[in-house]
Amino acid sequence: MKEDMHSKHSEHDHKPFKKVSKQEHDHSHTSIEDIEINSWKKKMIWSWIFTIPIAIVMLFDRIFGLSLLEFAGDKGMIIILLLVAFPVVFIFGFDTIKSGLRGLFTFYFNMDSLIALGTIVAYLTGIGAIFGIMQDYSGVSAMIMAFFTTGKYVEAIARGRASKEIKKLLELGAKKAKILRGKNEYEISIEQLKIGDIMIIKPGEKIPTDGVVINGDSAVDESMITGESIPTDKIKGSSVIGATINQDGILYVKVSKIGKDTFLAHIIELVEEAQGTKVPIQRMADKITSVFVPAILVLALLTFINWWYFTGDLSRALGVGVAVLVIACPCALGLATPTALMVGSGMGAKRGILIRKGEAIQTMKEVKIIVFDKTGTITKGKPEVSDIYSKVKEGYLLEMAASVEKLSEHPLSHAIVTKAQDSGIKKFKEVKSFKILRGRGVEGKIGNKSIIIGNQTLMKERKISLKGFESKIDEFEGNGKTTMIVVENSKVIGIIGVADAVKDDSIQAIGLLNAQGYKTVMITGDNERTAKAIAREVGIKEVIANVLPEDKAKKVEELQKQGMVAFIGDGINDAPALKQSNVGIAMGTGTDIAIEAGDLVLAKGSLVGVVQAINLSKATFRKIKQNLFWAFAYNVVAIPLAVAGVLHPVIAEIAMALSSITVVTNANLLRRRKI
Amino acid sequence: MAKKKITIQGMHCSSCASNIEKSLKKVPGVKEANVSLMTQKGIIECDEKVSEEDLKKAVARAGYKAISVE
Repeated sequence: MKEDMHSKHSEHDHKPFKKVSKQEHDHSHTSIEDIEINSWKKKMIWSWIFTIPIAIVMLFDRIFGLSLLEFAGDKGMIIILLLVAFPVVFIFGFDTIKSGLRGLFTFYFNMDSLIALGTIVAYLTGIGAIFGIMQDYSGVSAMIMAFFTTGKYVEAIARGRASKEIKKLLELGAKKAKILRGKNEYEISIEQLKIGDIMIIKPGEKIPTDGVVINGDSAVDESMITGESIPTDKIKGSSVIGATINQDGILYVKVSKIGKDTFLAHIIELVEEAQGTKVPIQRMADKITSVFVPAILVLALLTFINWWYFTGDLSRALGVGVAVLVIACPCALGLATPTALMVGSGMGAKRGILIRKGEAIQTMKEVKIIVFDKTGTITKGKPEVSDIYSKVKEGYLLEMAASVEKLSEHPLSHAIVTKAQDSGIKKFKEVKSFKILRGRGVEGKIGNKSIIIGNQTLMKERKISLKGFESKIDEFEGNGKTTMIVVENSKVIGIIGVADAVKDDSIQAIGLLNAQGYKTVMITGDNERTAKAIAREVGIKEVIANVLPEDKAKKVEELQKQGMVAFIGDGINDAPALKQSNVGIAMGTGTDIAIEAGDLVLAKGSLVGVVQAINLSKATFRKIKQNLFWAFAYNVVAIPLAVAGVLHPVIAEIAMALSSITVVTNANLLRRRKI
Repeated sequence: MAKKKITIQGMHCSSCASNIEKSLKKVPGVKEANVSLMTQKGIIECDEKVSEEDLKKAVARAGYKAISVE
């Protein structure tokens, strides 16, 4: 699968703008839909212009027994009705009739086949009526078509509304970019941007495409992509995402990704592909839809024959047959799932939750166990100084330690340097004879002081007494902190505890999941002590520690014996576990998004997104079930009524139009739910 | 295996989508076809050798028009 994605990308490399350029997206999306809406609107308006007079004439004739067309005589009236109904059925309804008849002849039956047959049969009764063989239903044919076009028009609008958020996503991209060439600023269109160009982004402007800040600092509003409402600070070296909005400073950004490779383009592709995936519960409805039309054709024919045979009333039999044809509505069945999925995924996209597989939202409600990867998922994935215990001034301790650690590339060293910088230390001391003692620590000389920073092994090696610090060291390590001992001239002056800190909202998110009755489990390659300390902090009861990365999937498999498992990981190294689990939720942090890994992908790396994703999946699935219920119920009730001859064909057509409108509208109501 | 996306014009009901799916699945080499009425798009999983023309023809056979294949 991964290879496919890549080969697909490379195919387009020589024309990177071809598919993603904003205009094309607009073109392929809005316009097809708008054309559809407008064309139904036109058909609807014209149909009614001709149908309303027919309706008035029929109303007076059938209900009050008054003939408004008395001057023309009985036959004249039928001829006038036939003439007026003709354009409605055969001109404004041309597309429907054409598609329907083609369906009948090629055996690719569709909805139109039913309407075409229904209206044509009804129309032909008018011709029969001229010869006095049967009752005239020609006016009815116009009314059926008029209501059909109206229903389609309303349905098209409602469907458009269902894809509102997704359309917004497509419209997010910037159209122009300002770039620096030499000392001059040029404005160019987004298609002309090249990797390596320097873009200038002023306050309030949209960042044209993905890149890295090379100069300037500012806060950037990334809510449209990640759902994160607080602007993110950007400094030199930070990555920025195209389509996000620069708030208050000028940024100089070097373009790193363009066209199809940008973050936004990936998200759009994910969302579009999700629309094409099926939710299993829909399968049954799809099976019915595929045999629905031929079944109804047969049923209508049988109904007609039966009525004719048993009542001998040809007109009545025809009327009932037409009612059966036009009342059957496979549309409500077929729209039940896709519309709800569309609304649900749109709501998700707005919040940085991408539903990749429709199946996941159905599986989600069966999930009992939620397994979290520790590093980078529950925690920030970067060690930070969490505790300092010192016999000297803390500032002095940090200054000494950071000056030496600055020369090392180790993550623990970074943590100490960052802490020193955060607490206001700007300049570091000069260090001589610096040495890295691999696996144990570092040492160096500052002036005439010899500094050693390292673990207990190093202290033992150098025979340095830990007196006065033992209990603190035990306390730090008991809490899962990596402890570094700072020694000045062979005397311990303080200890620094470093830990991979828990993300701000992990505790809240896991608390919510526990409260909802999920069994929460943490899985990690760390030692048991560190793992348990983190688990305690966030409220996870079960810990699986000392797991090699390649064994994570196996552990998930074991847990699956107890129930459905959702696995939450950061998507890059957790891919096998994400695949093994019943629902894989990948956390895409920053600009990296692991496309192939998860069934659901979170654009921002916060666990609150997991809670939202679970709630959204469940709400969407409930909506799908509701919709399917209504669609089935409608057909199960309405078709027998039509067969029984209780429903006039026009009423049948109105009911049909309403059924699909109801389903689409109900899907739109999903938006009212708080996620 | 290749993934292809077809933009289709003229669908207006779910039977349409299911007809196109049926027709696409009859093309030799096509493993999976998902046509969405909502997005007016079909996503097809097929062998590399399946040509765009074959797919377009399959859509046309069911009575609809394939605007583009990606």
